[in-house]
Amino acid sequence: MNFRYTMIGAALCIFIFYLGLILSLFYFVGGKGFWEALANPYTLFSIRLSLIAATIATCFAVIIGLPSAYALSRFEFPGKRILDTFLEIPIIMSPIALGASFLVFFNTPLGEFIQNKGIFFVFEVPGIILAQFASIAGLATRLMKASLDEISPRYEAVARSLGSSPWKAFCGITLPLSFKGLLASVVLSWAKAVGEFGATVTLAGAMPGKTETVPIAVFTAIASAKIEKAIVLILILVAFGLLTLYAIRLTGKRYRYD
Amino acid sequence: MINIQGLTILFDSFKITDLNIDIEEGEFHFLLGPTGSGKTLILESIMGLRKPHKGRIWIGEKEVQNLPPEQREISYVPQDLALFPHLRVKENILYGIRARNLNLKLYEKYIDDLIEVMRIGHLLERYPANLSGGEKKRVALLRALGPKPKLLLLDEPLSGLDLSIKTEIQHLLKTLHSSFRPTTLCVTHDFEEAYFLGDGITICIDGRVEQVGRRNDVFRRPKSRKVAQFLGATNLYKAKVLGREDSLQRVILGVNGLQFYIPKSLSQETFELGTEVHLFIRPEEVMIIREGKPVKDSLKQNIFEGKILDTIDRGRYHMVYFETTEGKIRFEISIPNYAFRNLHLSIGKTVRVALREESLWVIP
Repeated sequence: MNFRYTMIGAALCIFIFYLGLILSLFYFVGGKGFWEALANPYTLFSIRLSLIAATIATCFAVIIGLPSAYALSRFEFPGKRILDTFLEIPIIMSPIALGASFLVFFNTPLGEFIQNKGIFFVFEVPGIILAQFASIAGLATRLMKASLDEISPRYEAVARSLGSSPWKAFCGITLPLSFKGLLASVVLSWAKAVGEFGATVTLAGAMPGKTETVPIAVFTAIASAKIEKAIVLILILVAFGLLTLYAIRLTGKRYRYD
Repeated sequence: MINIQGLTILFDSFKITDLNIDIEEGEFHFLLGPTGSGKTLILESIMGLRKPHKGRIWIGEKEVQNLPPEQREISYVPQDLALFPHLRVKENILYGIRARNLNLKLYEKYIDDLIEVMRIGHLLERYPANLSGGEKKRVALLRALGPKPKLLLLDEPLSGLDLSIKTEIQHLLKTLHSSFRPTTLCVTHDFEEAYFLGDGITICIDGRVEQVGRRNDVFRRPKSRKVAQFLGATNLYKAKVLGREDSLQRVILGVNGLQFYIPKSLSQETFELGTEVHLFIRPEEVMIIREGKPVKDSLKQNIFEGKILDTIDRGRYHMVYFETTEGKIRFEISIPNYAFRNLHLSIGKTVRVALREESLWVIP
């Protein structure tokens, strides 16, 4: 068989597979329950909660992840490899296990101290943010590191020699040069946070109007056989996803470094 | 005055020990060494990007080895130039002045002069991606000179350029240096480049300084066989001191049974009888005698007859391979194309060559 067509055929199969999956949702669209579910205040609450929590979680992931990514990209230090490996913890650990680990942690003396003196996480909104943060921080760091790796450290070296402090060189040279890549990393991390389910439901529970994010709402809708509601929510997730992917494509234009 | 003392760098498999370099103010100094000898590491250490194992660096009165790069006033032009791709040429050029918060007004005239010498006035609004290789080099040089650094570091500034652009940039560097006299340290593996541009040359081989000197000294009078070989010296022969003519201040060396007469002043050696040394002469300094023409006095002492083994047309000059009849000593002789034609040289032809006394050099 023609080599080229075999390869392209495989790619097409994947495309048809996902497209079919999405199109099948529309079989139930338009029914009475569909519009009701869309207008339901709990649904709107879930959407708002998902967006806000994911945005805050992403902000934290960037605040801690960007410097970490820079350190991993530019410096040699003891334990660097171990640290790098640990970024994959949320990928190899099942999300449920991640959430369960948080529950265990908040039952240790330190965890109890944090909850008593500071913020309550278990079955609360901060728990959602924490769970989402935990599941994306590693990924965000990895992606941002890859963007920074693309920028030759030579630029900063020259900027330093011309009189810039390390901060100034980072903000004035490396950051703008890697901005598109960093933005794509952030958007992708945010999309993953929006879709996070396992860790969130384990740590924050599934209380409608309190801790029920869109993916959790999908789960509870399916569990209680409200198919139309589930489909509304799934379509919303798909729409978020496609919008973010489109946003990443928009940022795809890069500088030429030659 | 730049003074680098005892710089020692240990990094992976690289080991650079006890590097000393002195550069006078306004000097164009070359650090010359084979590719892969850690020259970039040396630059990075001088600049402050890498902490050397040992060593002190003075820039004028200021000792800088413990200062961060931004406080050293050393500009750097890396091999890949690293022009900031998101900034226009003009912003690239002014980067250093702005980063140091210098008063732009005081630099305006100087920058304008630089732009004129570099002939990049028409490129100021462009982005680096829209510049040619030669234009990029010029912008990078200008950016480095912008804040009037105390020392300019150049990493292989002429590598990776087409011959025509290389020549252009080479001349530009010369003009630039004679007009503005920035104190410059340039690393390269290309001796011709160093010879054309350099005032002083430090030769560094296998992580050690082998020789420091003015360009002509280094070129014609290498201190060691290592240096001679690095400089592409093929006419290097094992010799023995056969005799001394103290009244004439001359020494007689024997190579394969042939005798060479050498002025005593042309070596660090004391020339004890029987000492083994190496005799060296550059391929450009071997002269093929034109039959029927009188030979100058300074050439008369060292004349040898032999045959031409081979000739190679190198484009800009000819290389002639010659072997003496007695002693079978082979010389590589580089001669200009017109001389090659005038002499009617061909393989197998018997000719005589003369070695000017002053061109011979003895290495331990």
